[in-house]
Parts: sequence; C-alpha cells; structure tokens
Amino acid sequence: MQPVATAEIPSSDQDTPRLRKLQALGVLCGFTAGAWLGAAEAPTKLVAVGVSPVVISLIMVIGVFLARWSLPALILGTSSIHADVRRAPHLIIWAILAGCLWAVANTLTIFAIRDIGLSIAFPLWNSNSLLGIFWGFVFFNELRQAGWRRWTGVLGGALVMCAGAALLAVASSAQAPAAHPMRGVWAALGAGIIWGTMYIPYRKAYLTGMNPLSFVTFFTFGELGMMGALAVSYVGVLPLWHELLRARDVLFWLMLGGFIWVIGDLFQQYAAKYVGISRGIPLSNTNQLWGLLWGVFVFGELHGRNASLYAQVIGGSLLMMLGVGAIAFSSATGKEHMRWKEAARREAQRYGIAADDVEARMEGRQATGEVKPARSALDWLLVIGASSIFVFFGAIARVPQISANWAPAVLLGAALLLFFLICGLTLWRTTRFQ
Amino acid sequence: MERSGQSEKRSWMRSVLTDIQFWVPVVVLIGGLLLLTAIH
Repeated sequence: MQPVATAEIPSSDQDTPRLRKLQALGVLCGFTAGAWLGAAEAPTKLVAVGVSPVVISLIMVIGVFLARWSLPALILGTSSIHADVRRAPHLIIWAILAGCLWAVANTLTIFAIRDIGLSIAFPLWNSNSLLGIFWGFVFFNELRQAGWRRWTGVLGGALVMCAGAALLAVASSAQAPAAHPMRGVWAALGAGIIWGTMYIPYRKAYLTGMNPLSFVTFFTFGELGMMGALAVSYVGVLPLWHELLRARDVLFWLMLGGFIWVIGDLFQQYAAKYVGISRGIPLSNTNQLWGLLWGVFVFGELHGRNASLYAQVIGGSLLMMLGVGAIAFSSATGKEHMRWKEAARREAQRYGIAADDVEARMEGRQATGEVKPARSALDWLLVIGASSIFVFFGAIARVPQISANWAPAVLLGAALLLFFLICGLTLWRTTRFQ
Repeated sequence: MERSGQSEKRSWMRSVLTDIQFWVPVVVLIGGLLLLTAIH
C-alpha cells in the first residue's frame, strides 16, 4: 500500500467547542436511535401468528434493503457513495461482513426467544454493549486516558442498563417457554457476541471517515444475502415462495417495521461515529425501553397484571435511565479524542487514505476540494422505485383487526417525529450528514 | 493504467487480509453459523 498522503493527522485539539458539539450530537443520535429501533417492533405486532420467524425476519430485511438504498439516495445522493468507495474501497468488505453478522445474530435471537423467552434472552444479548466497550478499548483506543470518572460512567452505566434491561424483560414476558433452555441461552449469548463484534466494522469505517449513509448501503447486501441464504436453507425455495405468497397481505407491515428500523439504525451509525461504540451502543440499547412503552400503552400488554409487576417495570426503567444518564454525561475528553485520532492515523496509514480526508470526516465536515454531493436522476429513480414497492404492498395489505390504544400511539409517534426532526436538523446543521 | 488499478486492488485486499481486526469478526461469524447449524 502506498504510504502517500498519510501525513500526521494534526494533534492539537483539546476540548474544543467543535469536539463538544460532536459529542453532544452523538449522544442525541444514540437517544434517537433507541426511540426508532424500539418503535420498529410496533408494526410487526400487527401481524397475526402464522408466518414462520425466519420468513418474518427475511421480509423485514427486504424492507430494510429498500430503505437502505432509497434513504441515502434521498439525503445525499449516490454520487456521495461513489466518492466514498473510490476513497476507501476496502470498506465495502467491512460493510458486507457487518451485514452478514447482523443477519446471523438476528436469526439466533429468534431461536433464543422461542427456547427461553424474551425475559432471559433480551438481557443476554443486550450484553453486546459490554463487548462493544471491550472492542472499542482494545482496537480503537476508546476510553484510553479517559480518567476513572468516565470509566465508571460508561462501564457502570452499561452494567446498570443491563440490570434494568433484565428487570424489564422479566416483567414484560408473559410466560417463559423453556423447552430447550440451554440451547436458548447459547443462542442469546451467541447473538450478543456477534452483535457486539459487529461494531468493529462500524467503528473501523467511521474512523477512516466513511459516511454512515455509504456504509449502510453496502451493509445491506451482506444483510439480505445472508438472510436470504439462511431462509432458503432452513425453509427451502418452494416452501419459502409459497409462504411469501400466503403472507402477501401482511408483507407491508413487516416491511414498514424494517423501514422504521433503518431510520433508527442510521442514527445509531452516527452515534457510533461521533461518540464511539463504547458509548453509542448502550445509548441505542434504550430501544428496549421504547419497545416496552409501545407494548404497555398501545398494545395493552401488561393490562390487569399485579402491582409488583408494575413495580418491576418502573424499577427497570429507572435503572435503564440512570445507566443512560451516566453514559451520556461521560463524553470523551480532548485527551481521549487524541487517542481516537491515533487509531485513525493507524487506519489511514494501513489503507493509504489521505490524512486530511480522515481528519475532516472525523470532525464531521467535507475535506478540502471534495465535490459537494448532488442528487442525480438515478437517485430519484431509486426513491421512486422503493416508494412504489411500498405503495404496492400497502395497497394489497390487510388492515389488522387488533385492539390497540390509538391515543398513546399518536403521542409516541409524535415523540418519534420530534426526535427525528431535532436530531436530523442538528445533524444537518453540524455535519451536513457527513 | 489498468495494471496499476489491479495492483492497487491487490494491495488493499492484502491490507484487509493481513489485518487482525478483519479476522476477529470473520471468526465470530463462522462461530455464529456453526452455532446456528448446531441448534437448528
């Protein structure tokens, strides 16, 4: 690899206002990610039982695939993705690898829920945040020279969140099936390890300056390819086709779940970029809290249950909020940020990426001489194509006959939109979605 | 020109394949697939 243009990345900044602004932005992105990822479960609750879990996952991933191509095209245009690929082509491999990891982990969670129930499975795989902190520290210099206060804030916060998540999961599960307990535990632990490791490619991409919108565009090939392969191998081509045909009137709701999930994931990617994986992952793990809000207030999941259950829910929620608060107030200092830059310098040297580009992208701005992204006819075709597919499936979708409380649904929807607008606008003003 | 492009591609491929940070997720992915096969 040519050692060209990998001059020293300037190492002069301490706690600059720009750094503080980016850290605050990353925290906001983490909270917004949690809200949207939690809401992604709501449309899937509208689907009656009768579709196999692997097929549900596959259909959601198809919705995810459509959103992952159309949203980046709409926001920045595919020219920006081309520019990123020319600059750092190796990151395509990392993005596809991360997508494959996601698909395997997601399939494992289906088996985990089936075998040990959500109450045990969720806290087990939510331990991915602890692994994220470990990889962030080992590979990317996160939390180095951070001081004991920040260490306590991040690690303690993540542990408190895990305890809160465990309490919430126990409370939100009606009954825990336990046909194959050990198999379920292995599946949940496996999912946690895979998801925790999936953040290595994320961080690697963002340290070298890749735009999150470009990363997810290639991520989704790994995601859809692996999920398609798993569905075909577990269900078979013809049975899979017949099941898809049988489920055609609920495809829209599952695809909508995938679409909402993508919006949450996009904010999670920006959180990983600006606060690192050690803080970004626990913050976006607040999705469990939001999922519970939808379940309790909109779908009446805990209706008529005893007082101790409500006490568990309130206690678990408070613990999660406490952990989140500790992490949110433990942003990286100038010293720690300098260590991030060292990791970025190592990446730039290894892969021959211009130091100026890496520096600029880490600070959420365009590099000098970089062409401003612009949308082309292809971008509009992608947006129109994806929207038409959604409209088509929406038109043939059956309106589900379920009892839901629409007033809280409207309130939660409004909260989502508010998060989306505030965070989206702040991202645009601060980084122009870089 | 084409040769230069090919050697550049080989070069970044080599950088990826000799990066320990690449093999950690690959090993975890293989482990995950084996686990899935075992429990399915």
